[in-house]
Amino acid sequence: MFTGMGAAIEMRGVTVRFPSRGGEVTALDGLDLTVEPGQVFGFLGPNGAGKTTAMHVLLGFTEATAGTARLFGRDVRESIARQRIGYLPEHPDTYRFLTGHELLDTTARLFKLDGRTRRMRIEGSLEAVGIGDAAARRVATYSRGMMQRICLAQALINDPDLVILDEPTGGLDPIGRMDIRRIIGELRDRGKTVFFSSHELSEVELVCDTLAILCRGRIVAEGPADTLVAPGERLEKVFMKVIADAEASS
Amino acid sequence: MTRTLTVARVVWLDVIRRKDFYVLLILMALLLVALVSMNLFGLGGVTAYVADIGLMMSWVFTWILAISIGSRLLPQEESRGTIFSLLAKPVTRLELILGKWLGAWSIVSVATVLFYGLVFAVTALHGGRFPGWIVLQAIVLHAMVVAIVCAAALMFSTRLNSDAAATLTGALTATSFLLVPRIPEFVAQAGGLRGGLLLFLYNLLPHFEIFDLRMRVLHDYGAVSAATFMMVIGYGLLVTIGFLGLGWIGYRGKQFTRGSLSGY
Repeated sequence: MFTGMGAAIEMRGVTVRFPSRGGEVTALDGLDLTVEPGQVFGFLGPNGAGKTTAMHVLLGFTEATAGTARLFGRDVRESIARQRIGYLPEHPDTYRFLTGHELLDTTARLFKLDGRTRRMRIEGSLEAVGIGDAAARRVATYSRGMMQRICLAQALINDPDLVILDEPTGGLDPIGRMDIRRIIGELRDRGKTVFFSSHELSEVELVCDTLAILCRGRIVAEGPADTLVAPGERLEKVFMKVIADAEASS
Repeated sequence: MTRTLTVARVVWLDVIRRKDFYVLLILMALLLVALVSMNLFGLGGVTAYVADIGLMMSWVFTWILAISIGSRLLPQEESRGTIFSLLAKPVTRLELILGKWLGAWSIVSVATVLFYGLVFAVTALHGGRFPGWIVLQAIVLHAMVVAIVCAAALMFSTRLNSDAAATLTGALTATSFLLVPRIPEFVAQAGGLRGGLLLFLYNLLPHFEIFDLRMRVLHDYGAVSAATFMMVIGYGLLVTIGFLGLGWIGYRGKQFTRGSLSGY
């Protein structure tokens, strides 16, 4: 487990504004969020709610206009904060001129893993995502589903304590979705933290223990999944109601 | 250092697996051999002429390679969307820039040695010979210019797309090589404010002419003294570090959002 102190994710008053032709667009509006170690946290919201922007702030791609963001107690602006993080982008793409094996080897080197650990992790990651047979092929020859899998293997290569997944099941067939669910389950069983966004509410219902719903850059509902969604109720219905209420009050 | 070398290794694998790079390299090599083998104005038999045109073309071709490779490395990370996966690792933006520069510089330096080899091989067929030390110095100083051009291309590409970065680097390279050495003449003629401005430009722009040992090689003037050689290397390193530093300043605060990347 990570030796750093504090919550896996901690965002306090995070505001992100982007300049646009008509003035400024507020993507995040004073976002407060805490994800404790070991949680499988579902980050939900309609398109444009600010889910990806929040993830980009956590990974240092986008700087917050105001507020602070920390990963395991470290400021996200420090590169070392990403040492124990795995990330799968919304539209995963990677160096297509490399073979699957070379890609994972390169990623492992970026984490400064030694030769023995590198070999072990490459084997483990390829096995976890089920594309060991294609490891010697160039990524350019992979299908979309395989691309998603190799990018997920990349996210797991450093045995991360926190895995951030942005729409991990997008573009996957039912078998691929089941595999993602299995991997998330395995990560949870090993005490890892998973923070993911998805539009597939049925998937979220199956794997998450904690949920937050984001609307117009603010959290409008948050809590344990079994409290937020009453027994016999469907997440989809709760989600629609929460969003409608938030839209009406804004 | 490990991360910088890893980024540089990816640059190597990217470039050597691209067909367009081989096509460009082979075309340049063929053109070089053709140019130095042609009997223009009946001078084909003159060894100095053959070597002169060959070395000149080597300079031009390595600039083309340095500009085309250096200016696209960072923008293509953004256009492919791979920048997200890369920066999600504990890689600093300085390591990223240094790795890209190291990869581009080392590739073009290898191409430089290859071009010199071709020129000397063809010149040798015409009966020409070159003294060893001065050739070695010429290649090292040439590689130093490649380092500066790669750094400038990367610097421009931190904030511009690859086409704009390539154009600006090309203009800077041509100006520094062709115009800067002549600025003192213009200053003498201009005088006043215009003269002051020209003098400012003279001091601001890189002086590629001091890295150019072609005349020494061709006329066998002998090797440059070690002290002078090291001073020129030191100047080259300073300019390279200056461009890389400006590139880092331009890149360290750059925001990456889906909307800012083409292809999204």
